[in-house]
Amino acid sequence: MTTPPIENTVHGGSPLLDTGVTGRAAQPGSERMTRVLLIEDDDETAHEIVAELVDRGFHVERAATGGIGLEKARAAEHDVLVVDRMLPEIDGLVIVETLRGEQIRTPVLVLSALGGVDDRVRGLRSGGDDYLAKPFALVELIARIEALLRRPTDTRETKLRIGPLELDLIDRAAYRGGRQIELLPRECRLLEYMMRREGQMVTRAMLFEDVWNYRFVPDSNLVDVHMGRLRHKVDAPGEPPMIHSVRGAGFVLRAPG
Amino acid sequence: MRLAEFTRSTTFRWAITVAVAFALGTLVLFGFVYLRTEVYLTTRIDSLIVGELEVIATAGPTLRVDLVDSRLRGDPRRLKLAGLFGADGHRIAGNVESLPAGLKIGDPPHEVEVMRIDPDSRGLQAIRVVATRLPNGDQLIIGRSIYELDDIAAILESALLLGTLPALSIAVAAGVLLSLRAQRRIEAINQTVLRIVAGDLRERLPARGTGDPLDQLALIVNGMLDEIGGLIQQLSGVGDDIAHEVRTPLTRVRASLERGRDNAATLDELKAITDRAIGGLDKALSIVTALLRIAEIEHGRRLAGFGEVELAGVMHEVAELYDPVAEDRHIQLEVEATDIVIVRGDRDLLFEAVANLVDNAIKFTPADGKVELKLLKRADEFVIRVADTGPGISESEREVVTRRFYRSDKSRLTQGVGLGLSLVVAIAKLHGFHLTIGAGPGCTIEIAARQA
Repeated sequence: MTTPPIENTVHGGSPLLDTGVTGRAAQPGSERMTRVLLIEDDDETAHEIVAELVDRGFHVERAATGGIGLEKARAAEHDVLVVDRMLPEIDGLVIVETLRGEQIRTPVLVLSALGGVDDRVRGLRSGGDDYLAKPFALVELIARIEALLRRPTDTRETKLRIGPLELDLIDRAAYRGGRQIELLPRECRLLEYMMRREGQMVTRAMLFEDVWNYRFVPDSNLVDVHMGRLRHKVDAPGEPPMIHSVRGAGFVLRAPG
Repeated sequence: MRLAEFTRSTTFRWAITVAVAFALGTLVLFGFVYLRTEVYLTTRIDSLIVGELEVIATAGPTLRVDLVDSRLRGDPRRLKLAGLFGADGHRIAGNVESLPAGLKIGDPPHEVEVMRIDPDSRGLQAIRVVATRLPNGDQLIIGRSIYELDDIAAILESALLLGTLPALSIAVAAGVLLSLRAQRRIEAINQTVLRIVAGDLRERLPARGTGDPLDQLALIVNGMLDEIGGLIQQLSGVGDDIAHEVRTPLTRVRASLERGRDNAATLDELKAITDRAIGGLDKALSIVTALLRIAEIEHGRRLAGFGEVELAGVMHEVAELYDPVAEDRHIQLEVEATDIVIVRGDRDLLFEAVANLVDNAIKFTPADGKVELKLLKRADEFVIRVADTGPGISESEREVVTRRFYRSDKSRLTQGVGLGLSLVVAIAKLHGFHLTIGAGPGCTIEIAARQA
């Protein structure tokens, strides 16, 4: 499928390492490094994930078995848990269920080689906050970990404002500076989703799951086309761009400048 | 089969049990018949002798003796007994030697043993007897032999022997024969099952077409084996597909990585090659995902997600999703779905099916073409129709395109892994819907089903 050329790519350097895209993984207003516990039995996979997370400034601890992982997770010293589903000794989902049963609310990202719809539902029902099927792109993993760390703070807020961009959810009206932006209902939801995750990368899969509620679409470029429309409306010619594409990964909305 | 093994077999034990039960039942039946007969005969004898006693007792003294004598005449079987005794007990007339011990005069009929005297012989005889004292002091006794009862017992006994024993042996023989036959069939089934367990899934249990329970069981198990065989074939088909189709992109990835390692002069060149390789891997993975999904849907594991689905809504949603894409390609995407049609199904899957059809239509339609998405009602069925102004599908290809991976030559240049239609077919089949590819111009695909 031919999609319109992506207009605004992140300029300069490797886009994925751009601090503006991923953040420094530090919690806002805190000097402490974000602590991740990875429970994964496969050494090579674990090695790659740990290396990637460390590169991005996370403090990573890894457990190779379910038993050790559960013990470490119980200490509740981590900001996010990444749990493989098929582990020796204890099943990953049992770990999540056990933790939730003990009122430990650390966000959990479940990794699994089982990609069926039912597997996903089961993963989320057991208390996982997000579910990522193997194999996955590392950038997808990072985006989802960051999404878990920076959950939208106040979802009851009906007026969102990022730099010159304003979105009134009740009137379904958007403004950039004084310019009014006409939005279709879906575009409105898309913009809301992006604005609530300002400066945070969202992947195509995340958008499909959260904005469209679809799991399987014939062509993932569909998101690009819709995002292209929205960008066209938000970033008028001559205005500094706010919606950026991250090549091979997703999109990020940021205040200009 | 050895004898010991046979006698241990359940069927044999059943045969024996049934034969024994049959024998006991027969014995009880015969006993009952004997008892009833005895009661009946005794009652009859009693009423006879009581009647005769009355007749003789009311006669005058001379006539009485005549009556006794005439009663005793014409009795070839020597059943009848009668005796007239004086008050002192001496015999006046009759064939009873003396008043028997145990005789209760004036009582209802009872059983005693008397000495019977005939012109040429005498002997003891068991009889039913009734006696009375006459007005002149004489004593009159009337009796009748009960050896008839012994006769009946003897007849029954011989009937029991002649009838029951052969019947019993026939029952045992039939039981043994039947159990042997059942045993042999079970043995044959066991052997077959063992071969199936050993891995020969083409084996089937022997069925004789008689419809007996064992036959029905064999048919059910055979049906189960057919289903398992089909599933395994599908599974290995999926495996073959994956192996075959994934090999192509993987070969490309391998080649480009190899060339990149040897030839890349700058980091940027290497990065470009790596990106291509990642793209190739993603494609391979998407093929695996798509194939596994088709298999998942084909195996009907998703019936759990069924509910009521309003089709027009699904179609408008698909149109909304594809509208920008169509516009970019200068294709007019028209949706016409106003009727409210509710079907039982999995909303996500139906959405996916319609989306795949629209996706295909847009891909195959050249610029300035048109894609129509319509919901039609026909008689008692509804039709989702996706029609485009693309090159269409030739008649010879219509069957084939629904197979996994088939891509018509015209579509080689269009991206996509070629699994879209197979997926749509699988989803339609899961819902019991019917997919048809219509004649040109352009391509028209319809999914038809009855309304819920």
